[in-house]
Amino acid sequence: MATLEELTATAQAEIDAKKTANGGDGMFAQVNNDRREFTDAEYDQAVTDLANSKYDEQENGYKRARQEAYLPLAEQLDMQYWDGVNGTTLWADHIEQVKTDNPKPV
Amino acid sequence: MAGSLIKIQETIVSSSTASVSLVGIDSTYDVYKVVISDIQPTTDNRNLLYRVTKSGSSQSDSEYDNAGKSLRTASSFFNSSGNNATSVSFAFSLGNNTGEKANAVLYLFNFANASEYSYATVESNFLDVTPELLGYQGGVVHTVASASDGVNFTLASSDNFANGSTFVLYGLRK
Repeated sequence: MATLEELTATAQAEIDAKKTANGGDGMFAQVNNDRREFTDAEYDQAVTDLANSKYDEQENGYKRARQEAYLPLAEQLDMQYWDGVNGTTLWADHIEQVKTDNPKPV
Repeated sequence: MAGSLIKIQETIVSSSTASVSLVGIDSTYDVYKVVISDIQPTTDNRNLLYRVTKSGSSQSDSEYDNAGKSLRTASSFFNSSGNNATSVSFAFSLGNNTGEKANAVLYLFNFANASEYSYATVESNFLDVTPELLGYQGGVVHTVASASDGVNFTLASSDNFANGSTFVLYGLRK
């Protein structure tokens, strides 16, 4: 997995490419109704934010994906009940499928 | 009472914009209200990020705490919380397809008070990238005891807001 420093370097290149001074379309801020291109400090913050987003996605993206994929607790409890009655593995299969579909990065 | 809700600023995104600030909070009112509507990223799967402004500048220090509950239509509810973050979100994984929008109401407390933290209560709803409808209810605090004069909104990964994204600041008359 990439380090935060490596992702910051990637983010820096991406944000630099957006600057109008570098031929990009620019990034713009709207303060009340005044629209202007980012200041240098805002571009620097955009690099930090982008790097943090990349790092967060790398470290925690699979957790959020799993959280979204798990069925509601009521349905999981229903699965466990019927697993007990019928000797099936519906619930364990569901959990395993979610984990398999959204693997922890190594 | 008529005339109690005073509109201070309204910003509607009409061309590529990555950052929107509503500035103008002072001691005129004790409580301010922010209404944001039809928020959409230009790229799929982006979080909306909230920060306060001081002297017009967005504050990205690690001083944001938040706690809230996400109410979901298709899956289990989940808690969202964090301490000492550089921003907070109350609208997650926003989609950019037709009809996938985020809306929120925030009440801002103690913003103009230089000796208090800047609090906000938040409620939002949005269709995420799935798309699934989520509702969020919670609160945010910027734990710096100095006056804040506004709020700032950006999208994760430095994305742009789609045209039509609307941000309004109101004051609640004392």
